[in-house]
Amino acid sequence: MKKGFVSVVIFSCITMFVAFYACGPSGPETIKIGVNAPLTGDIPKVGEGTKFAAEMWLEDINAAGGIQVGDKKYKVELVIEDNESKAESAVKANTKLITEDEVLAIIGPQSSKQAVPAGGKANELETPMISPWSTNPNTTKDRPFVFRGCFLDPFQGPVVANFVKDEFGFTKAAVLYDVASDYPKGLAENFKDAWEKIGTMAAYESFTTKDTDFSSQLTKIRDSGAEFIFTPQYYNEVALIVQQAHQLGWDKPIVGSDSWGSAETVKLCGKDCYGLFFSTHYAAAGATGATKEFIDRYKAKHGYVPDDVGALTWDAMRIVQTAIQNVGELSGDIKKDRKAVRDALAKIKKFEGITGNMDFTEEGDPVKCAVIVRISDTGEFEFYKSVCP
Amino acid sequence: MEASSEKLSNITRLSKISIRTFVSQVPLLGWLLGALIAVALEHFVGTPFARALGLPKALSLFGFLIILKKPFLIPSAVAYVLLIYILPIGIVARSSASIMNKLAGKLLDFPMLFSVIIHLGLLYAVVHWWSDMSLYRNDVARFMLIAVMVTLSLNIINGYMGEFSCSHPGFLALGAYSASVFTVLLFVDDRIFGLAWLPKAIGPLFFPIALIIGGLVAAVGALAVAIPSFRTRGDYLAIISLAFMFIVKSLIENLEAVGGPRGLSSQPNWASLPVVFMCAVLAVWIINNFVRSTFGKALNAVRDNEMAADAMTVNTRRTKMTAFMFGAFWAGVAGGLYAHVVRYVNPGDFDIKKLAEVLAMVYFGGLNSVYGAIVGACGISLLGEALRPLALYKWVIIPLLLILVMIYRPTGLIAFKEFDVKKLIQPKKVSP
Repeated sequence: MKKGFVSVVIFSCITMFVAFYACGPSGPETIKIGVNAPLTGDIPKVGEGTKFAAEMWLEDINAAGGIQVGDKKYKVELVIEDNESKAESAVKANTKLITEDEVLAIIGPQSSKQAVPAGGKANELETPMISPWSTNPNTTKDRPFVFRGCFLDPFQGPVVANFVKDEFGFTKAAVLYDVASDYPKGLAENFKDAWEKIGTMAAYESFTTKDTDFSSQLTKIRDSGAEFIFTPQYYNEVALIVQQAHQLGWDKPIVGSDSWGSAETVKLCGKDCYGLFFSTHYAAAGATGATKEFIDRYKAKHGYVPDDVGALTWDAMRIVQTAIQNVGELSGDIKKDRKAVRDALAKIKKFEGITGNMDFTEEGDPVKCAVIVRISDTGEFEFYKSVCP
Repeated sequence: MEASSEKLSNITRLSKISIRTFVSQVPLLGWLLGALIAVALEHFVGTPFARALGLPKALSLFGFLIILKKPFLIPSAVAYVLLIYILPIGIVARSSASIMNKLAGKLLDFPMLFSVIIHLGLLYAVVHWWSDMSLYRNDVARFMLIAVMVTLSLNIINGYMGEFSCSHPGFLALGAYSASVFTVLLFVDDRIFGLAWLPKAIGPLFFPIALIIGGLVAAVGALAVAIPSFRTRGDYLAIISLAFMFIVKSLIENLEAVGGPRGLSSQPNWASLPVVFMCAVLAVWIINNFVRSTFGKALNAVRDNEMAADAMTVNTRRTKMTAFMFGAFWAGVAGGLYAHVVRYVNPGDFDIKKLAEVLAMVYFGGLNSVYGAIVGACGISLLGEALRPLALYKWVIIPLLLILVMIYRPTGLIAFKEFDVKKLIQPKKVSP
């Protein structure tokens, strides 16, 4: 009896499988876009900004009924994956998005530590990927399928150097940076190269991640006769550096980079930061047009002014949308479509983003303007001037 | 009422017993055959079958990913797992049990190596077919096998020798960087090291050498922890080993030659699934032989009572040094593989987070046991992957699970159990 039961089960299974095998695959009715964001780990605020901006974009698309490609409207689905802000996890998340979820394009990862290996995977599997925030040149180098949404450090360094020279006419610079962190170190070197062409370096001081006492470096800088400090640090360190410098009697300017552009900077730093300058992607206060619209919507929904990550992610989403629309027709064969989207991405000219207009170079890096922002006397990021390449 | 509940408990007891006898009668060969047939089934009819059940495609990771995102698909996912995995494995294993028992017995007539190779070949075929379905599975499998190697190597020090060592991410970093420098310098046109010295085509032949170099560098680095361990034990050694980890991280961050904090990228893609599988098998085999040898017993002696061991003519210094260097060697090899799977290394990857991960694997799986290391590594990495859709809540569930394991099995799931290959592959006795 038992044997009979087993053979019935086997038989029915086999007939079922044979029946299913006849069913062919059906064409896609929806476009899937992957988002690879650090929702947990070291920088959850960055992941949150990414997620919120992406979801806002999806709302817009849904309101319009989908993305119009040629004469057909496609619904859009976002697949948001957490990369735990780890390289290994970012690679797995990208592979999952590409092979399991079969997304058409990927937005993210944000920091270079994850974007470099994840970009390698995307390029290997021929899926277009835009990293909105990664500044490491290796992310896009020799990878036709990988793009980025922000300008690179070799551009930002000279921008800051020239701005200081033109604005204040200083000749002696000091740099204070984190030697153990990729972004500050790269930018400090780029700034140094640019500055040494137009002035002299009075001090070039470093510290290590998670240091909180900078008095010895700042004393050296103070005594070196430098006329200003350039410190390309993240918001928590900026507050400490500026406050400690002021306690040591430093009253000359301190200049920063796009890593200052977080709402937390002013919250932590307070009055000490008022009147300081930094270069960044966009200025929230006094923004106009589409930028203001984005900021107002984001603020109304989530209660705070979006960081540059949010703005850059928004632009990256819209770049992908434009590229998909420019493709003209989706074949349903995901591999072909991905290639078509990549080609369309490389061809985008004069894209009007909320972080400025941009074109893409051969490497997949955008050519766009940097903004110099002044922290106003009420703690807002005010547009001061725009520097274009 | 009472009678019916008694009847029910009788039924559950009976079914428990019948499941136990059912399981105990099937040799490993039978299970492997069942798994092979299940993955073959999935390979050929998985996708259309999944579509017919209303699933978007063949389920990876046994459906966890999809049911956490779209709970309404739970019935289809359960049906899929049942019909593709559980039923075929169960039916094939049961119906072939008697033949497989005879076959396993016959195989034992030959040298044991022959039988082991057949088992491993079957196991590889299962893993290969399973991961052939999508590259995502392939990645998961490779990272899992690397995790097995790391956990095993840490188990030598933390489990068998009983020292709480925190330096493993440091060993991994040394191995990863040394192997990467070797391959990138010799075979890749790279920004840091310039043009390749040798043609890339012969590179894969040199990959084992790269891994061994990685292991050796890590082993030499381990001396920095092993020598202080002669005089310090317990908490103090833990601090020393932690310091070692930070020293390695800072060293690499300040070494401009290997990219500093920017990291080192463009490693060649040589760590494919067969390579990683082979390395993991070698690691299990050699480490298992090591811990079952006199040396392994010496480790246990040092752990349980160093003075007594010394009195019984165990050379404690040599024992400690060997254990640290041997563990570090395998960590270094695993690091080299890791670097070539991710194809990018950054000193920030080898920090306290990595340490927490490997320690969790060791203590979850079980101390002093090769089985435990394998179970811990596979369990934590599969769980981490399967709960991915939960994002933040994943970091509530996994630690909670660890706490529960620590409460109910304080030394881990499968601790203090010998990994006896012969016992594993021999035919099971059929009860009359």
